[in-house]
Amino acid sequence: MSSRPKSAIWVAIRSQWLLLMVIGLYLWAYNVSPEKAIQALQISANTLASVMLLIAAVFGLVGLLQVWISRDLIVRLLGREGGVKGLLLAALCGTLLIGPAYIIFPLLMSIHKQGARWAVVTIVLSAYAVKLQMIPIEIEFLGWPFSLGRSFLTVAFAIPTGLLIESLMERRKL
Amino acid sequence: MFKVGLIYLIMISTAYLILVRIDRGKTLLSLQVAGRSLRKLIPLLIAVFGMVGLFQVFLSPQQVEQALGASNGWISLFIGGALGAVSIGPPLAAYPLAGSMLDAGAWPPAVAAFVICWISIGIITLPFEASVFSLRYALLRNGIGFVIALIIGTLLGVLL
Repeated sequence: MSSRPKSAIWVAIRSQWLLLMVIGLYLWAYNVSPEKAIQALQISANTLASVMLLIAAVFGLVGLLQVWISRDLIVRLLGREGGVKGLLLAALCGTLLIGPAYIIFPLLMSIHKQGARWAVVTIVLSAYAVKLQMIPIEIEFLGWPFSLGRSFLTVAFAIPTGLLIESLMERRKL
Repeated sequence: MFKVGLIYLIMISTAYLILVRIDRGKTLLSLQVAGRSLRKLIPLLIAVFGMVGLFQVFLSPQQVEQALGASNGWISLFIGGALGAVSIGPPLAAYPLAGSMLDAGAWPPAVAAFVICWISIGIITLPFEASVFSLRYALLRNGIGFVIALIIGTLLGVLL
């Protein structure tokens, strides 16, 4: 039983290696340039503060979806039985959801565990590069041929990409 | 982003308030599930946001713009996609940056690849994506997504 404390430390390192790596990077940055490291820390804190409410809201939604939406409904809408309609619904969800993509990873994984197919998860993340409600702003900065062309191509490619990745995921697991 | 978050939070809170009248137990369980999933992810979220600050300070937008505007053709297409892939930020921040790249004479396909990768490809968040989905999925999605972004950029160049 003497190996127990050792393995507990090992588990902590394995599960939190990213956080430990970032702390290491900050120590390095502080060594190179203390002002820049503090500035980076401030930007990080500000960015986190600015999306804090959004994160809280998204996790509120995660809780609701897990408890209220039945597995059957998800399988029917976004699983294999949903067919083309499910894929189109996924593309629409992707273009409408806002916030950094990594915030919705847990949401998508919980939907996947409840029966949504890999293609749906991937289509949401691919179509994510288009933000319907922000197209006016994009046009403002990049012009309408660029913005509309980019948005159309992104959505058009999302569904084939989703199906391709799904077929690769389902091929003999590594 | 703060305003958008507030609107989302109000919408979700309203949903909770309505649902608590329908089924108190189920709604409280939802709240518990939400709190538990958030708590589990807090260290990872702190790490990801820590990275955002480091990248913004040690990799300025001017440097990004220079690298993309100076080089030409296929190399800048690849650089555009790669820069988008390593940076994270809200889509709203990508548009002004991409606009200044276009103004500086950057190749539109490279800028399109930049915008697409900025939003949907994340090298920094890849470890997080792998821990949520699986390493296999994270590598496939980011790898194939990157190639697709370059293809979309090239097609956009043909269209324009």
